[in-house]
Amino acid sequence: MDNIFLHFGDRFIRIVRILIESFPKLLVPCLKITITLTLFSFFFGLILALIIALVQVADIKGLKQFARFYVWIFRGTPLMLQLFIIFYGLPSFGIFFNGYVAAIIAFSLNLAAYNSEIIRSAIQAVPVGQSEAGYMVGLNYFQVMTRIVLPQAARIAFPPLFSSLIGLTKDTSLASSITVIEMMSVAKRIAAVYYEPFWMYMEAGFIYLMICTILTKMQTAFEKSMEWKQPDEAVLVKEVTEKQDLEREDRGLR
Amino acid sequence: MLGVRNLHKSFGSNQVLKGIDFEVNEGEVIAIIGSSGSGKTTLLRCMAFLEQADDGTFMFDDLSKDIRTISKKEIKEIRMKMGFVFQSFNLFRNMTALQNVMEGLTTARKIPAEEAKKTSLEMLEKVGMLDRANYYPDQLSGGQQQRVAIARALATKPEVILFDEPTSALDPELTGEVLEVMVKLAREGTTMVVVTHEMEFAKNVANRVIFMENGVVVEEGDAKEVLTDPKQEATRRFLRRILRKEEEE
Repeated sequence: MDNIFLHFGDRFIRIVRILIESFPKLLVPCLKITITLTLFSFFFGLILALIIALVQVADIKGLKQFARFYVWIFRGTPLMLQLFIIFYGLPSFGIFFNGYVAAIIAFSLNLAAYNSEIIRSAIQAVPVGQSEAGYMVGLNYFQVMTRIVLPQAARIAFPPLFSSLIGLTKDTSLASSITVIEMMSVAKRIAAVYYEPFWMYMEAGFIYLMICTILTKMQTAFEKSMEWKQPDEAVLVKEVTEKQDLEREDRGLR
Repeated sequence: MLGVRNLHKSFGSNQVLKGIDFEVNEGEVIAIIGSSGSGKTTLLRCMAFLEQADDGTFMFDDLSKDIRTISKKEIKEIRMKMGFVFQSFNLFRNMTALQNVMEGLTTARKIPAEEAKKTSLEMLEKVGMLDRANYYPDQLSGGQQQRVAIARALATKPEVILFDEPTSALDPELTGEVLEVMVKLAREGTTMVVVTHEMEFAKNVANRVIFMENGVVVEEGDAKEVLTDPKQEATRRFLRRILRKEEEE
């Protein structure tokens, strides 16, 4: 009996030690690669998505068809395949990228396809009466879009866009397949060295979970700040007194 | 001042306007009445270019032109001198009441913010919404939203304001506050074209009434005459039906 407990205790201590030792080894590539990969890809992907969505909403001949074609291609093929074509395929045409850059390109292009659909549907979800009212107060198309439609669409698109950001954080693990040393590939290597795959992958999973928890908290905070809500009582009082001042001035002039 | 001649409009195979002649002069208040589907809202929307008419002549101030040949630039210039109040208010949901009223002044007309704000606050006061200046549309009742929408239309000092059933989307107890504002505007000499079901308003405030049915103007004339002693059978039938409905309520 004593032996078994001793054995159990030894193993427990060993695992804890491996987990503690490996934690910084995972955290460094997480901060350096996983997070930067996510942020760069999301940033470029979002800009591209906005362009693809606006081209369709504005119904620009030719460009609209191209946008549909683009979405069809990038949603219709696996992300892994897109990574392989950019990293392994393009060199045969003399175009070389290192793994990190290739990953950003592939993630951005792929994400743009999905996010453009989110943005497009959000724009179309803004009631047409909002634009009509904009035109009737004298705004032009550009002003209607930037002042009225896009701010309202942003609020609608925000939760699904944030979901795609969270999804991307985990999809970056695919970059390990094109030689990028990110958190997942480090976990795999450490797991092989100590032969403790269960605990290593649990640890990597824990770090992913922590990142996504932080992101979710951020989402809630952002959504709150985007609400069109009741004004401050103080602001209200200030406005009314300002108005009364104006009236007093007017009377003085008369 | 604003008018159309021989206006036609179809939605697919459905002919909604079959040659409408219409004109409003400065200082006039015109009520357009008729059952739903008669084309009265479409007429109003065609005059604001929210619908593209198929045929007809459009007149505004000195401009008189085939309605199909009016350019985007001309449409914008016309809208700059026109106010429009929607049935469903359509206040910009991402802006406060004050910002809604200011938008046409600052963004569209490049009026300095301070001046625009002063004008806007005056307009909000006129419609009795000054104390809600910093509220968002979602925080206002239907009647309050519509009053802000009227202030928004007024702020740009339009030559004419078009009202598309401004009280139809409101609970009965809220129509009064909106009509009150409109009566006030009419007294001040604002040129107004009002598509409405409010017969009392039409009778007491409008100078002229136009009765439409199936895409044509059936009867037109002095408001009190048309509403109390109509010449056409169709008008009589319509008024009887409306009266009965009002009694039921």
